[in-house]
Amino acid sequence: MNKSAETSEKKGAVLPIKTSIQDSIKDLLKNGIDHCVFDAVMIPLRVPAGDSFSYVLIKNKSLLNDAFPLPPTMSVQGAKAVSSVTRLGNRNMKIAAVMRPCEIRATIELTKLDQTDLENIILISMDCPGTMPILDMVNEPEKTMTLFNDATKSWDDTQMRPVCQICDKSSMVAGDLHIGTLGTDKKSFFIIPNSTKGKDILEKLKLPLTDSIDSWNKKVKENSEKKLKKRQEVHSDLKNKIGDLTNLLDIFSQCINCHNCMRVCPICSCRLCYFDSNKVKHSSEEYLQRAKDKGSIRILPDTTLFHMGRMMHMSLSCVSCGSCEDACPMSIPVAQIFSMVADETQRLFDYVAGRCLEEPLPLRTYKEDELHEVEDVHG
Amino acid sequence: MNRKIGVYICECGPNIAEKIDIDKVIEAVTSLNDIVTVERYKLLCSEAGKNYLTEQIKKHSLTHLVVAACSPRDHQLTFMEVCENAKINPYLFQLANIREQCAWVTDNKEEATKKAIRLTKAAIARVRCHSPLEKKEIESNPDILIIGGGIAGIEASLQLAHSNRKIYLVEKNSFLGGLIKNFEKKYPEMQPCSASILQKIETIKKISNIKIFTDSEVQEILGFFGNFEVKVKNKKEKDIESFNVGAVVFATGSSLFDINKNPQYGYGKFDNVLTSLEFEQMNLSKKIVLKNNKTPKSVAIIYCVGRTDKGYCSEICCMYSIKFVRYLKDNIPDIKIVNFYSDLCIPGKSHQKFYEQTQGENIDFIRAENIDITKKGEQLNISYDDETNRKKNCIVDMVILSPALEPSVDAAKLAEFTGVPLGDGDFFAEEHEKLNPVSTSTQGVFIAGCAQGPKSISDTIIQAEAVTGKILSSLIPGKKIEPEVKVSQISESFCIGCKTCLDICSYGAITFDEMNKISVVNEVICRGCGNCVAACPSGAITLKHFTFNQIYEELKEAVQ
Repeated sequence: MNKSAETSEKKGAVLPIKTSIQDSIKDLLKNGIDHCVFDAVMIPLRVPAGDSFSYVLIKNKSLLNDAFPLPPTMSVQGAKAVSSVTRLGNRNMKIAAVMRPCEIRATIELTKLDQTDLENIILISMDCPGTMPILDMVNEPEKTMTLFNDATKSWDDTQMRPVCQICDKSSMVAGDLHIGTLGTDKKSFFIIPNSTKGKDILEKLKLPLTDSIDSWNKKVKENSEKKLKKRQEVHSDLKNKIGDLTNLLDIFSQCINCHNCMRVCPICSCRLCYFDSNKVKHSSEEYLQRAKDKGSIRILPDTTLFHMGRMMHMSLSCVSCGSCEDACPMSIPVAQIFSMVADETQRLFDYVAGRCLEEPLPLRTYKEDELHEVEDVHG
Repeated sequence: MNRKIGVYICECGPNIAEKIDIDKVIEAVTSLNDIVTVERYKLLCSEAGKNYLTEQIKKHSLTHLVVAACSPRDHQLTFMEVCENAKINPYLFQLANIREQCAWVTDNKEEATKKAIRLTKAAIARVRCHSPLEKKEIESNPDILIIGGGIAGIEASLQLAHSNRKIYLVEKNSFLGGLIKNFEKKYPEMQPCSASILQKIETIKKISNIKIFTDSEVQEILGFFGNFEVKVKNKKEKDIESFNVGAVVFATGSSLFDINKNPQYGYGKFDNVLTSLEFEQMNLSKKIVLKNNKTPKSVAIIYCVGRTDKGYCSEICCMYSIKFVRYLKDNIPDIKIVNFYSDLCIPGKSHQKFYEQTQGENIDFIRAENIDITKKGEQLNISYDDETNRKKNCIVDMVILSPALEPSVDAAKLAEFTGVPLGDGDFFAEEHEKLNPVSTSTQGVFIAGCAQGPKSISDTIIQAEAVTGKILSSLIPGKKIEPEVKVSQISESFCIGCKTCLDICSYGAITFDEMNKISVVNEVICRGCGNCVAACPSGAITLKHFTFNQIYEELKEAVQ
């Protein structure tokens, strides 16, 4: 896997779209099962109530007919699904995991912390038009489905979650295979390998890498530049809005301490969050002392501290997937704030979360010669 | 638990009494929870003071003790011993440093008193969270593994063999003696070297409790001080022998800097350009001749080869190069010798004299830079910049290069599988350059000779003897070993199995339980440094006696 946002692969395979792109992807997966290149597929399925999606592990290929390779919403971050299936090792079953690029990037971050076993996993991503707010699907399932289908065709992101509207990595290839729908004539799609594993599969499926992917690359670059510009604008506005401590406290003052953002975060892999532990359960004397020191104290305390602590803990691995914001019952723009902080912390270490498996986690690497700007501030 | 805490403030003669208002400190802490008594005393570390504390503990049936006095470096252990004698667990004690951190840092009595109050309160808050810790004892194995059969390894083996324990000496070559086997004489006394080492080798072979492995390499060292499991592989016969030892000595020595990295010296390209080692061998065979078998009429010795590449001075090259002048003059009296050096390093009580006595007719010492060697007919042309930066030339029959010393290739391998860190120049890192020069960060693993850095034969022997002393005084047959009590603990339920701690631990004290996908601390190897605690991304590790709660409660009072 390579270090740049664009894949180093110059060739791919072009396949025709028969009925719809979703169906074509499913055909490809069935073909994979038939050729024994994988034993099972982990892919989203619409729940029986119809208002949400869930990852399922499919062994029986006929069930693939009901799958949604690219569902309108993301109820479970795919990285969490891969981790729960493989964390204790996965020797016997080759699984193709079909996920959005941000889910794959989170998977790669988790792998660096040994929270997955990717040996027998084939990560398949596709160009992502964005994700709709999870509640839209719950409130108006059919309308959301239609809106999403239209948006996928027109590549219009105005209905998508705010953090998707500023995602410049929606076609980032970090897994083994990528399905490219950008830069095509809408009657076909690209399949692009990004690892030896990916190439082997295409070879076994007799899909020769003979087609140029220049048009895809060009379109991806265009899209990503456009999104990056918007991302910077939004981050800059946000920084003005929450730049000082008072504003930061204001924005998190709505927080109801449910910790949903932490629970759905794929990167938050601690068994017990510090902020749920006994370490933050204080005696009444302590509360009184704090009240005495500050004049008064909010109960429950440490609301902003929770977000800042989480930020410190995971911002270097944050992939801006937006799960936290989806899960926030108070509509705090958590994902946008975190994406802003993550961009800055990751830039500090010339690191992009989930870009490639070989890039070590900055906090696990010691370099004598770095961060002098921080030293300067503290003399 | 019903705590009864006693607080004792030491006047430390005038040291604390004159600089801190002790009565104010007493007043400030007396009414705190769990405090049974607060007293002042002249000098708590004196015999009288210790007896007084013991009586006080008994009189008030104290469960916890706080002493406000000097630095823990001075008397932490003194007061822990008092606790032990008075039958309270020594870890239910806390020392507040109100001398170095308060009395000695300011003349402002009021400020010093305020800080002393904070620190004493912090110590009280901390001691409330202390848990008793129990000492453990394990059996020790007195035997020793020595890796490297050069002078360091031989000397250490000979010294240790007298102490009636088994010595395993492992050498990668088919012979013992290392580099110095090639040296005819040693400087400055010019006494036989090769002959004396051969004699030592004969002696060592006769000692029954020294087991020598030649053509062998150590494959695995697992365990801890007093109980290492070792696997040694014979490279020729491919068989593996396993045994246990209590301590390990790395005496892997050094090798010469690869001169091919400095092509300007023409080594390997032109005849009659030799390395110092090749010249030693030539001298030992009593045939100092050119390639065409003629006796050289002029020789240049080039010092400091590779020093810039390595970034350190190899300490011994100047001296042995001067020794070469002696060799040459002894064998070919009318030979002309030119020494090209960049800095002469001749420290020590007899080296200067040796250098001065070596000077004489037809012996030049030239400080030179930018040396470049080319062929001129049968001879070699040395072009160089002299001290005034002028380009000059010199034509000689033979060139001897004195290259820097670098660690033997085995050092890096050994470092990798034992976790003993490498330091400057990739030589093994000593625990402390001055205080612990032959110990490493792994308890029970010692370094001797050039494995630790370039050094002379006499310094190597000194180190081998120092290692012997260290081992004999710490690894005593029949004596049990007390491992560190303040060790890390990994919570099984909080560990996410990310293995971050495995890379961080420099003692190899953490292993991974593949079944349960969690990290596990070997409490006997752990030295309680706390690095894993800080590195653990999921807060699963705690260090006994430095728990989150203990530090938090202490800090809260200290920064109140």
